[in-house]
Amino acid sequence: MPFLCRTRKVALLGATALLTVGLAPPGARADIPDENYRPVLEHLLGVVMPPKLDALHDATANLSDEIDDFCAEPDQDGLDEVREDFNAAMDIWQEVQPWRMGPLIANGRDQHIEYWPDKHGTATRQFRKLMFDKPAIYTDREKIAETSAALQGFPALEQVLFDDKLSPKLLDDDEDGVFLCGYGGAIGANLERMTGELVDEWPTFAQGMMEAGPDSMDYPDAKFAATDLYRALHEGLLIIASQKLGRPLGDGPKDAKASRAESPTSKRSLRNIAHNLTGLFAIYDGKWGDTGEEGKGLSALIDSSLLDRSFRLNWQTMTDGLDQLPASIVELLDQPDGYQKLADFAEQVSFVNTLVEGDVGGTTQLGGGFNALDGD
Amino acid sequence: MEHQRREFLKLMGVGGAFTLLPISIARAAAPASIEDRAHYISASAGDHDDFYVSAFNANGKILFEQALPGRGHDLGLRPNHVDVAAVERRPGLYGLILDRHTGEVRAKLHCPENRRFYGHAVYSDDGRFLYITENDFDHARGIVSVWDADDGYRRIAEFDSFGTGPHELHLMPDGQSLVIANGGLHTHPDFDGRTALNIDSMEPNLSIIDRHTGKLIHQAALKADWHQLSIRHLDVAPNGTIAAGFQYQGELTDQVPLVGLWQPGSEIRPIEAPDNVQLRMRQYCGSVRFDASGQVFGISCPRGGLITFWDVKTSGFLTHIAAPDGCGLAATDVAGQFVGTSGLGNGWRMDAIRRKRVELPDDSLKSLHWDNHLRRISV
Repeated sequence: MPFLCRTRKVALLGATALLTVGLAPPGARADIPDENYRPVLEHLLGVVMPPKLDALHDATANLSDEIDDFCAEPDQDGLDEVREDFNAAMDIWQEVQPWRMGPLIANGRDQHIEYWPDKHGTATRQFRKLMFDKPAIYTDREKIAETSAALQGFPALEQVLFDDKLSPKLLDDDEDGVFLCGYGGAIGANLERMTGELVDEWPTFAQGMMEAGPDSMDYPDAKFAATDLYRALHEGLLIIASQKLGRPLGDGPKDAKASRAESPTSKRSLRNIAHNLTGLFAIYDGKWGDTGEEGKGLSALIDSSLLDRSFRLNWQTMTDGLDQLPASIVELLDQPDGYQKLADFAEQVSFVNTLVEGDVGGTTQLGGGFNALDGD
Repeated sequence: MEHQRREFLKLMGVGGAFTLLPISIARAAAPASIEDRAHYISASAGDHDDFYVSAFNANGKILFEQALPGRGHDLGLRPNHVDVAAVERRPGLYGLILDRHTGEVRAKLHCPENRRFYGHAVYSDDGRFLYITENDFDHARGIVSVWDADDGYRRIAEFDSFGTGPHELHLMPDGQSLVIANGGLHTHPDFDGRTALNIDSMEPNLSIIDRHTGKLIHQAALKADWHQLSIRHLDVAPNGTIAAGFQYQGELTDQVPLVGLWQPGSEIRPIEAPDNVQLRMRQYCGSVRFDASGQVFGISCPRGGLITFWDVKTSGFLTHIAAPDGCGLAATDVAGQFVGTSGLGNGWRMDAIRRKRVELPDDSLKSLHWDNHLRRISV
């Protein structure tokens, strides 16, 4: 879809908003039978997610192998290849990342895989110290898992591979170069291990959700289990708007700071978001790349084809807007109108999230209850 | 839900918005054992901005509904008396004293113009005085007002709560002091009375005051990094241990504790659940209740649809039980056992030791949305 100019975009958003408001279901509607939620759970948790976790594990295993190959004979071409493998693994991680549930979050795993946001600059501080002391534990492929979360996952590897001052050292046969190679290899192996655990633990967790019922102390019915998927969609968009975009945007143009974005060193902050949106849309749609089937996600619970089309159109408008932006927020904010473009995109994401709250949450009846929505 | 509600009212032989069931019928419907003779009472709501104080028996059978002028919140039970205080949730203007067995209105409390009720009230152990948390909104100051129940609920004094946005308060086991959760949130009726106006500068705390003089006895706050953890709900064990539940006003992904234990005179000890439960608590705790033994407490997390249970002895997480939109929580007289209610109309009996949840059998409970807090009445 061609890029829409701002005026047309706003008009389109406004029109579809009116359309969706007009189609909003009345307050007193029949409850969706609980058995209707079960196929959605089975599709998303049993069909769609497992191959993606396999892909993540394969990508990190490949990354780990490539680091080892590169370190055996370091040269610039090899470094470029490792960077490509890093990006490939990061792409699939960013698709999986918003599904914040079960083994993804158990034992702080998501933070060990990617420590972000790092509000207090912990990683930078610890990284400086690490390069000064070069402790052996950070090159130990087993023991690195016992170290700080900030120093054992993707952001730490990003520093090793992409930082302007550090990455050239990888090509040197000196103390720094040897340590950085050993450290990068240990991070790669650690990522491979953690994503392997995800693959192993997912089926049991998914089974628990798919078998929701009165005897389960975790998921008393299928609707409650499906609520976690709805929440992942809603919170995923919220995190993109308020943190992945909100943090670099700051309080205004003068307060903007690209370094507060995710993955600024590898210049892929917006590329991350594009992949987040792929993983999130799969929750709604049921299809994720070559996996799954359209219309078998949460959209299967929406009984209005107009509302479904409206939501898809708004989602498409949002992703089209992102397609027009560079992969890097650093690069975007260097443009004269970069701040405004980024702010506009953040607005689009927030708008789509209002549709998730109002239309998707309302129509699927997953959007929260009396106390959850308005407690005290 | 509306359909169920209409059916229930039809069965009761009434078509109106609220029902007062005679106590004789309520008692006749109650089962025989001591535990099963307990009643539970809570604020509730229908589907059309209609609000009540409602009571049900241990089977979940509704005993009465008393209509309220606005949404209620918690209830204060007058010891050895029929009175129960229902104070409107923040920014509240009314308070009603009801008969706990019938719902009949026995007295009315009016909030002064420059104050707003904050939904929680507690009686002194002799039942003479009622204490209510309030907002002195023009001065961003928390207040505890004092009402003399023996003098027609005359407002006789007000004390500083020693914080902003006071919410739940409890009598301490000594009977002479009150512990107050000062949530730290400043609100003003000019801005709808609920929107927080000071997220960046909020300073929540737990304060204990002398209930006769209002003098501050103890106070504790969380570390400065956690100043956006609004301390809103609490309960007190017979040995004086205070359990508190927090509501985080910061980012969804921030890793912050949501539960704390406080022995007055020391620091608040923050405690956390395992990651996969902590995340499902969704940065938000509702009710806090100790069990009959004082060794286990439950904290409801309605946004995550969980009731979490915690062990006082180890200061650690015990278990969790899913409870969609569950918030109201009351301890039964059995150690580790609680009754919970939800905004979806469910009621459950839950056993924290055996990790068990059983739905209350009577469907009449499902005719209402049960509000944040639940109280148990021994009959």
